[in-house]
Amino acid sequence: MTKLVEVDRIYEELAGIVGERFVSNRPEELFLYHWDFVTAEEPGRCDFVVMPEKTEEVKGIVELANREKIPVIPWVSGINIGGVCIPREGGIVVDLRRMNRVLEVNEDDMYAVVEGGITWGDLKGYLLKHHPDLRAGITWSPPGTGVIPSYICYGMLDLGMVGGTGAEFLNGLEVVLPTGKVVRVGSCMSTDYWYGRQPFPDLSGLFIGWEGTTGIVTKAGIKLWPNLPRRDYIVLAKTVDAGMRIFKRLARAGLGIVDMCFLNYVWLTATQGVRDGENIPSEPEKAGLPDFYGLVTITGATEKELDAKEETLMKICTEEGEMALSFGDAVSMFPENQIGEFLTYTSLPIQLYTVWDFARGGGGEWVGGYVSSKHLVDVYYKMREAAIKHGMRPQFYGRAMFGGHYWIGRMNISFSKNDPEEIEKARRCLMDIDEAARKVGSFIRYKAPPWAKKRNFEKADPNTIELLKEIRKLLDPNGIMNPGQGL
Amino acid sequence: MAKPKEKEIFEQLMKRYLPGRGITEKVTIPDRVSLERYQTLEYYKDQVYRCGKCGQCRYTYQNADLACSCPSGELRGFESYYLGGKNLLLWGLTSGRLSWSEGLAEILYHCTLCGNCTQQCQLEGIHTYALEWLAAAREEAVEKGYGPMPEQKRYGQHVQEEHNPYMEKHADRLNWLGDRAGNLPEKAETVYFVGCTSSYRQKNIASATFDILTGLGKDFTVMRDEWCCGSPLIWTGQVDIARKCAEHNIEAIEKTGAELVITSCAGCYRILKEVYREKFGLDYGFEVVHSPVYVLDLVKRGELTLEKPFEKRVTYHDPCHIGRHMGVYEQPRELLRSIPGLELVEMPRNRQNAWCCGAGGGVKSSFKELASFAATERLREALETGAEVLSSACPFCYRNLSDAKEENKMNIQILDLMELVQMSMKT
Repeated sequence: MTKLVEVDRIYEELAGIVGERFVSNRPEELFLYHWDFVTAEEPGRCDFVVMPEKTEEVKGIVELANREKIPVIPWVSGINIGGVCIPREGGIVVDLRRMNRVLEVNEDDMYAVVEGGITWGDLKGYLLKHHPDLRAGITWSPPGTGVIPSYICYGMLDLGMVGGTGAEFLNGLEVVLPTGKVVRVGSCMSTDYWYGRQPFPDLSGLFIGWEGTTGIVTKAGIKLWPNLPRRDYIVLAKTVDAGMRIFKRLARAGLGIVDMCFLNYVWLTATQGVRDGENIPSEPEKAGLPDFYGLVTITGATEKELDAKEETLMKICTEEGEMALSFGDAVSMFPENQIGEFLTYTSLPIQLYTVWDFARGGGGEWVGGYVSSKHLVDVYYKMREAAIKHGMRPQFYGRAMFGGHYWIGRMNISFSKNDPEEIEKARRCLMDIDEAARKVGSFIRYKAPPWAKKRNFEKADPNTIELLKEIRKLLDPNGIMNPGQGL
Repeated sequence: MAKPKEKEIFEQLMKRYLPGRGITEKVTIPDRVSLERYQTLEYYKDQVYRCGKCGQCRYTYQNADLACSCPSGELRGFESYYLGGKNLLLWGLTSGRLSWSEGLAEILYHCTLCGNCTQQCQLEGIHTYALEWLAAAREEAVEKGYGPMPEQKRYGQHVQEEHNPYMEKHADRLNWLGDRAGNLPEKAETVYFVGCTSSYRQKNIASATFDILTGLGKDFTVMRDEWCCGSPLIWTGQVDIARKCAEHNIEAIEKTGAELVITSCAGCYRILKEVYREKFGLDYGFEVVHSPVYVLDLVKRGELTLEKPFEKRVTYHDPCHIGRHMGVYEQPRELLRSIPGLELVEMPRNRQNAWCCGAGGGVKSSFKELASFAATERLREALETGAEVLSSACPFCYRNLSDAKEENKMNIQILDLMELVQMSMKT
């Protein structure tokens, strides 16, 4: 996109589709889409940013891009800790945030139909105002980040124990394919209802896990759940091994736990802005400090039901020689000026500052992946060792998914994003952490930057890789959809 | 719930976090960030890049059903118009990745500097200082020749000549007083600093305030040589002109011998109360108080009785310059509650979360669409409460809200707090 005349022509066409005020190629505007402003990944570049308001406009943009063979990058907030929507080969960023409406809430079947650019703030705000008896699963991310990108990239929700990743909470999708064709998958394909993906062939798989490289989701049906009374507990254990033993038992105890996750000592302290240095041991067990800080959420229709669940939870913790106490009691023991930070943990979406070590300079990137419960503890120690070797603070987070059928583990590294040397150091560290985790066995990265995604496929079945490539080629014959990302 | 014994164990465990060894020795981010205010953009450059562009600034966090908070961003849509975008553009600027341009200046000026965004972001550096660097960026824009916006430049020139930004003659400043102008004393205990908007546009507010003070027999005066306070200049980066206004006004007030200055305008209040001293380093011996706070004090001391009922449902709009900027939230509400018969209802976005009326920061002159958009949104919110009256404590808010009301033919009465007080006063 170097010829000025071409730029002008494409600009005019885009303006004709979305209106002049919602297309830009001003450097000041584009700058904000070149970076993700969080990770250590390299910035990219784009030539235009457009903000469509409806599916027809997205269709028009994609048809234009396909005809002209210009890359298209779907975008909602640009924060995904993997640089997944950094434009790698120029082109048009399609910022979907004007498409942020809840179009329908079906109280009978407990689902909502939302637009592709809706954020957690939009969604939660709408439900609080109009359907307070229902709730959606929400990620540990700030309110300005996108719902649908999280769902289709296997993001984790605070109902992860109930239904798994966000992808499993999707009932159906409306997608603009890279050719500009609009398709619907799920029950919405042949009815006005978005209650599920059955009974047709489940084509949602063409768009889940592809990280915006097979189409632009313009509408989605998402599952909602009864907004039941809840109780939150802090489970404290001396080591991650000990904590995981408790979590595995809790997952099988029939308690109807809706969410179960933990931080290690270093991440817990990092979020509290504790200074660097010797006061924060990276191996806290050696200093006699607990390393496992679990958060367990149960829900129940009655106090009696909640009491019974609590009793079992406490009993398991005690039997394992560790302890649990109510979230409120636990946080009340922290200094007053930090209690508010903790309280956001049970009222998602979060304030980003409560989970990010901004004291180091605002930069952060994780090595995160899905993993068998058998390997999670090993993954932690291997990752920690790699981080320590690089002199970085090993911040770890783990979560049980879908009743404990699979788990997630991720290690975060914080750095100053204004310091090129520190960014380079973080990159090398992240690569070594990634390598260490993969050696354990079942670990597979998600929302990964291109270099890590490449590693994901190194040991993959070649026939399956071939199939994936053929599918992508079939859907996107001109290779315009988010090139340089995905496979 | 946690059993007492478990709580005790936990407390014991927490004690193991010995000083210097763990989370009891927390030096929090808020503790770390302690900067000077009213500094240059360069001074704040190590804060702006910490922003993660997470979008927190776009929502009233955990309040008002996570409603939107930023008029500029909501109107224009692009990331650049929200605080996160502006922060990172300024990072680009201070790190040499971007250069000044007309486009960049337009983005930075397309903002009322209302500060709602900063209330939502709890990252201490941004929460406390973002408004400082947004204002500093405008000063730098002026220095580099990219600011202010043309209309703002025009009124800046007019302030230098006629001491008001409304293209009016200084000689007409006291026209609102009519016959009452003849009795103004040169010396008084109190100065009523009317402000340009009340003097030239919302004369109803000036008159109500004047009559209240007169009715109470207060020893006060209105200065014949009052100039623009400088608020519309400072927030558009025209600092040199603002400084001249500040120096003049202080001298003029001191000539009256007044120990107290009462303001009608939220912008005047912040400037006189804080900016003259903190930014310009000017010293003066008088106290500054905003009119509703002053009147509430009279009510509390029994000097003023509000007894005529005002049987209407009223909602209150927090002006940014007294609310978020100066922390005056409760006194106006207390004053409203002291009016018999008046039913005060809150809009969902109130106090720290109040949606801006859209007038400030030079927006009403240069970005009329934004000013109208913000005011219309606020009026809709007011109407949704079922209020018959939208009250505020700033003539500039009054003006912008009234303009939007007329433009949209909305059925709600707009009244300044002083008008309500005047109606309720014992005759």
